[in-house]
Amino acid sequence: MHLGRYRVLALLAAASIVASACGSSSATSTVAPSTGTTTATATPAAAASATGLPATDTTVYPRAETLYTSGKQWGAPSTWNPFDGNSAMGVVGLQYETLFLYDPIKDAYTPWLASGGSWDSGKTTYTINVRQGVTWSDGSAMTAADVAFSINIYQNAALGSTLFTFVDKVVANGNDVVVTFKGTPAYQEWMQALYNMPIVPAAVWTPLNTADILKSLNMKGIGTGPYTYKTAAQDRMVWVKNPTWWATKALGLTVAPTYIVDIVNSSNNVALGQLLAGGLDLDNNYLPGIAQIVNGGYGVTTYFAAAPYMLGGNTAWLIPNTQKKPLDDAAFRRALAEAIDPNNVVVKDYGNIVAVADPTGLLPVWTKYIDAAQVKSLGATFNTAKAKADLAAAGYKLGSDGFVTNKDGSAIKLNLEVPDGWSDWMAAETLIATDAKAAGININPTHPDYGTVVNDRNGTSTAAPIFDLVINNDVQIGNTPWVYYDYIFRQPQIAAGAARNRNYEQYDNKDAWALVQKLDQTPVDDLATMKSICSQLQKIQLTNEPVIPLWYNGEWSQVNNSVWTNWPSDKGAQVQPATWNGYWQMGAIYMLTNIKPVKAS
Amino acid sequence: MRRYFGRKLLTYLMTFFVAATIDWLIPRFMPGDPVAQLVSRSNGISPEQAKALVDYYTRLFGLDKPLPVQYLNFWNSLIHGDLGLSVYGHGTPVTDMIMAAVPYTLALLIPAILLSWWAGNTFGAMAARRKWLDNTALPVGYVLTATPYMWLALVLSFVLAFSFRLFPLSGGYGFNLEPTFTWLFFTDLVAHWVLPFLSLFLVQFGGWAIGMRNMIIYELESDYSRYLEALGAPQGLIRKYAFRNAMLPQITGLALQLGVVVSGSLVTEIVFSYPGVGHLVFAAIQSNDYFLLQGIFMFIIIGVLLANFIVDIVYVVVDPRTRVAMRGGTA
Amino acid sequence: MTAEFDPTMSPAAGDAEKAPTPKAKRARGEFLFFALRSKKFVVSVSILLFLILLAIFGPMIDTNDPLALGDLPMRQPTLDPGNWFGTTYFGEDVFAQFVNGLRASFFVGLLGGGLGALIGMMVGFVAGYRGGWIDEVLNMVTNVFLVIPTLAVLLVITSYLQARGVMFEAIFIGATSWPWAARAIRAQTFSLRSRDFIDLAKLSGRSGPKVIVFEIAPNMSSYLFLTYILLFGGAILIAASLDFIGLGPTGGMSLGLMMYNAVTWAALQLGVWWWFIPPGIGIIAAVGSLYVMNVGLDEIFNPKLRDI
Repeated sequence: MHLGRYRVLALLAAASIVASACGSSSATSTVAPSTGTTTATATPAAAASATGLPATDTTVYPRAETLYTSGKQWGAPSTWNPFDGNSAMGVVGLQYETLFLYDPIKDAYTPWLASGGSWDSGKTTYTINVRQGVTWSDGSAMTAADVAFSINIYQNAALGSTLFTFVDKVVANGNDVVVTFKGTPAYQEWMQALYNMPIVPAAVWTPLNTADILKSLNMKGIGTGPYTYKTAAQDRMVWVKNPTWWATKALGLTVAPTYIVDIVNSSNNVALGQLLAGGLDLDNNYLPGIAQIVNGGYGVTTYFAAAPYMLGGNTAWLIPNTQKKPLDDAAFRRALAEAIDPNNVVVKDYGNIVAVADPTGLLPVWTKYIDAAQVKSLGATFNTAKAKADLAAAGYKLGSDGFVTNKDGSAIKLNLEVPDGWSDWMAAETLIATDAKAAGININPTHPDYGTVVNDRNGTSTAAPIFDLVINNDVQIGNTPWVYYDYIFRQPQIAAGAARNRNYEQYDNKDAWALVQKLDQTPVDDLATMKSICSQLQKIQLTNEPVIPLWYNGEWSQVNNSVWTNWPSDKGAQVQPATWNGYWQMGAIYMLTNIKPVKAS
Repeated sequence: MRRYFGRKLLTYLMTFFVAATIDWLIPRFMPGDPVAQLVSRSNGISPEQAKALVDYYTRLFGLDKPLPVQYLNFWNSLIHGDLGLSVYGHGTPVTDMIMAAVPYTLALLIPAILLSWWAGNTFGAMAARRKWLDNTALPVGYVLTATPYMWLALVLSFVLAFSFRLFPLSGGYGFNLEPTFTWLFFTDLVAHWVLPFLSLFLVQFGGWAIGMRNMIIYELESDYSRYLEALGAPQGLIRKYAFRNAMLPQITGLALQLGVVVSGSLVTEIVFSYPGVGHLVFAAIQSNDYFLLQGIFMFIIIGVLLANFIVDIVYVVVDPRTRVAMRGGTA
Repeated sequence: MTAEFDPTMSPAAGDAEKAPTPKAKRARGEFLFFALRSKKFVVSVSILLFLILLAIFGPMIDTNDPLALGDLPMRQPTLDPGNWFGTTYFGEDVFAQFVNGLRASFFVGLLGGGLGALIGMMVGFVAGYRGGWIDEVLNMVTNVFLVIPTLAVLLVITSYLQARGVMFEAIFIGATSWPWAARAIRAQTFSLRSRDFIDLAKLSGRSGPKVIVFEIAPNMSSYLFLTYILLFGGAILIAASLDFIGLGPTGGMSLGLMMYNAVTWAALQLGVWWWFIPPGIGIIAAVGSLYVMNVGLDEIFNPKLRDI
């Protein structure tokens, strides 16, 4: 009988199904003791009763105690090293904290792990008062020695920090840390460092402070922050509340969620689905159609209730390669700036969730540094007729095909590159090209893959940058507009290659750079001097247009109010609503202390 | 028998060698610098920090060694089961990343392939026998087999997950759970598994059903069937022989189908964000992580060759004529 | 990313050593007689013709540029001229995209399937006719192509090409989907070459290639045609998959690209079903009717399969 053979095959099939099912349930590493919960269902939107076990041991997170976020983590969390810029969401901010917080809306520094800080009368020595009573998550006390160590660690060349180009010595002295500087301190960068340096325990990190410091993954790190590592997988990062957080006693602050589950981004539309279904509370992705959704009764809100819906987090610039004809001609660049209507992009592409940028490109929080009168007289605004006139006046003749040619008669065709797959920028570049065409400038919108764009823009070790135009928004909001001017005017030019990430347009202006350095060396509270230097920089920028500001890219943030409420808004608590790197210490931590569960758990 | 398998093995080994070499060559031919890309994704860092990261990663990935050395290292690592480090995973070993994703993909593919094969063949055989079934239900098979995998996934997701909330929209298991050996976790795992499985199952089911139906009809029209009919053999007996003969090309088809199904699972996993190998491939494509892609494809090559080898064995077990041919006779 | 091995094809492809019924030449009238009586054939050809007409004349009826951003985003379809299928997130005309995409999909199918058929025939005929070590070598080449992840190759090539056209996609699909066709044709050639008429041709002094072209191929003509149809359908499906993961042509429109855009711009979550349903139905209709036509033709050509 041949039936036997078929029986064997059927058994094999059945066995493999069972084996694969068993295999998948042990897919990830942590296996915790099983709990006795009964009510939780398959989706995170279900409520479940508490288990009675300590938070660090539970394996099912009650919905009312859990905050689901997404938007920062592109790719599985792979390192928890606070000195690695690619560390998982919240490593710096939730687990490790900084000496100060900075609020960009109020332009104020809040003492955090430092209880205060002050300059001496000559403004050459800075004293950090280390807060007492702060404990690490393993129970030991944080001391001034830890703080001094955490600053001195930046001397490690593997971290590539420029801090010690202007800092001289950092010494612990009782409960203070005294910092001395070489020459005139770079006040702006120093204040920036104060709210960006994670404070780590010297006991743990002294042996790790070698050339291989970035290799240690630091999975179960010891920090001062309100959360500690619970678990991580290919698609999530889970934090659990630290019951001994110092700020509860010292500042009366408690973080509301017991668990924070950060979901790895797969794609924006999946995030949108999760947000609408109630599986996500806070999403920091760019979501298409969010303007319709906010008004659609889904319980989803944004920082502003109406346009522009989002805070501005960075500026999108059109960057020309000023080493190429005709982009080396300031007159041509000006005409280009006048030919483009960013409002077109704002309305048609983004549906008004971004805003047109000021001609200086400075973010709304830096309005006080903008010389408005100067902008009015010198700034370029959208005006196709004027663009055409300026082109003609500068000597660019209109050819028979409707496009202007170079002064020597050769055709002008500028390739505008954005990374393939960045759909909003792909749509934007088409609109920009259409605008430019109306004024006679031939722009060809392309979208090669990301790697090619990076190579064309940065150049490689064997080739100079070959791009014509790119859109870029690398530099984020910070405590000072110096970050923008460093980005625009950096000298000397960084060698072509992977490390090149300033002055993409290759614009050489020694006066501008001198002003930028002067700005860096101005104390942050000297508003008058800062304004004066900024005004001079803006004059150079507006007359030369080395980069053309387009729109303010949003600090994408949309929240679902079905489980947590009292989110940041311009009518409520005005704090940063983002989980991105660098934003926790700009006040986003208050978001966690402000939110309340809709149902008492 | 030994010569037959020996030759097969030799062919497979040579194929593996060639495929592996091509697989290794591919990333080296791609223009662009994966390290530069990776570093440029962390925006906001200073140029000095960027340079430090670049040096670190270049050393880590061994990109500073000459090509022949890299090739030898590749084979050396392969023998030790080391598929390199992933750029997308910031230096996580590729093997680890694949092993975390493989159970999910196998859990989708193996039941989908085997169940659809069995169910499709059974249904196709039934349709070949019953005219009314052939005219009503079988056309569905044509529609199913012509359906692109991702479109079916989209429709299923839209109807069952989004509109009716019967199944979760995406993911491998709920975000409120950690992997444990509990009933709760298991049911959650299955709930997330159903829709991706259905997408793969339905399309293949259609294909097998139609194939089987055609094969059976063809067999029923062949000489030996007519002869048995003329002899007065019962219909059941004829159908039994026809079924057995029809099975053979279906088994061969199974081996050839593997490559297609793997790509089908890729797009399905994308739609559902199911954390399997396909999803990893997609992420690797987007981050231009050549090492991860190289490792995954090596894995797929080995898997497909292995599966082909198994099907060859099964074929020998099932078809007595191959055994006769191996012994030098003619069927 | 290999072509579909399609079990709808009969007789068996692969290693089964079944000899097909020799397809005798049929008079045109006889063919038409059986063709029109086959329901499968009539229905499938009608659907296919309708789609082809739509692809050819559609863009002339609806002259909107499929990529033009309009002012009325996400409008529901109303089935009147100008808004047959509604608009996308950007206000683009879905119907215009659909008919243009249909054109591109058919083009890729035609060319890609054709190229695949050509290569498959060359490899299959030579391997089947010559046998021996040429057969072994070609077999191994076929195996390598079957096993290589074509996706990886595509990635490399696309990273060199700034802009990719539909032509490139068709060539790529043709160059990677031939293996199963080669196998099938080889098996058929194998069984045909021991026939008497082949011996006769060889005795008459015909050279190898001439035997293949003038004796073997015409005897398998219906088989070859069916192979081509399957490759055609398979090429459309593969192209849709490639477009869906973003590796398709960089300009223009295609049905797979419509689905990719729909998913990327959250059509699923925003309920814009008219953006991704039409392209899917278009593909199903095109490929499905091709497969049904395949089976119908098989029945027409092979009298044993007819159920008269």
